[in-house]
Amino acid sequence: MAKTILAVDDSGSLRQMVAFSLKAAGYEVVQAVDGQDGLNKAKEKTVDLVLTDQNMPIMDGLTLIKNLRALGSYQKVPILMLTTESSDEMKAKGKAAGANGWLVKPFDPKRLIEVVQKVIGS
Amino acid sequence: MEIKALPIEELRKLLAAVSEHGKQHLVEVEADLLQTTFLLNEAIEKLGAGFAAIHEAVAQQQLIIAQLTDSQALPQASVEKLDILKHTISDEVNAVVTSLQFQDLTSQLISRTIKRVIGLKDLLHELETHGNAMDPSHEHEQIAQFLEMMSHNLHEGSHALSGGLRRSVGQQDMATGDIDLF
Repeated sequence: MAKTILAVDDSGSLRQMVAFSLKAAGYEVVQAVDGQDGLNKAKEKTVDLVLTDQNMPIMDGLTLIKNLRALGSYQKVPILMLTTESSDEMKAKGKAAGANGWLVKPFDPKRLIEVVQKVIGS
Repeated sequence: MEIKALPIEELRKLLAAVSEHGKQHLVEVEADLLQTTFLLNEAIEKLGAGFAAIHEAVAQQQLIIAQLTDSQALPQASVEKLDILKHTISDEVNAVVTSLQFQDLTSQLISRTIKRVIGLKDLLHELETHGNAMDPSHEHEQIAQFLEMMSHNLHEGSHALSGGLRRSVGQQDMATGDIDLF
């Protein structure tokens, strides 16, 4: 059975590119338009990995991670940030919130898939 | 010529004119930026959808080619050429996926500019409001203090505006971003 990835980003084109890349590698992709939408979808079905943007309306990525980590079912699910933010300060905040990795946009599809495979397998 | 009273009315008119003209131009800038964002989003969305459809068609085509290759219906030279083409297509697909993401980065930069324009409009409005509150009957010293306060408020407002607009996009080239696993 294909592993499911929750892709959270307020940019439609970015979600489209993430979904396109991951589906081509055999993953199922659930999309969410902001942190709150991501949290709701994560509660509906526990996914194998969460890939989230940082700067989004309603709920940002760091807040989403904190909320997910507070849920029993998401304490060990890998969470990766995919964002334009590249400062060490923000990365440290992400790590403290419970992120397992930090990917700076724009992503290279091959490298994204390599990272996802490394984190959750094929 | 001896000036007995400060030209407060003229100063008030000047501040109102600076505010009004400034705001008019900023309204135009804001409208252009919003229109740019809309057109850019629409264009990229259509490009993305078209690209995904082409990719799907190419994937189907490659499946048929793979079947032909497996059945040994094609000469070896053609099989080798098709294999090279397959890798070229894969590399180009990756390049397009990377390039299409720059719309997200530019949208964030435009959004930050729009917020700055709106903040600047508010500052200009404040300048006009303060100008209207100036009273020509006040002593020179009081008016000087009033102007000093206006200058201070403008400085504070400008500082607060910049503080609320943290730069979230540092990208200066077309390269892909770094990856850190914790």
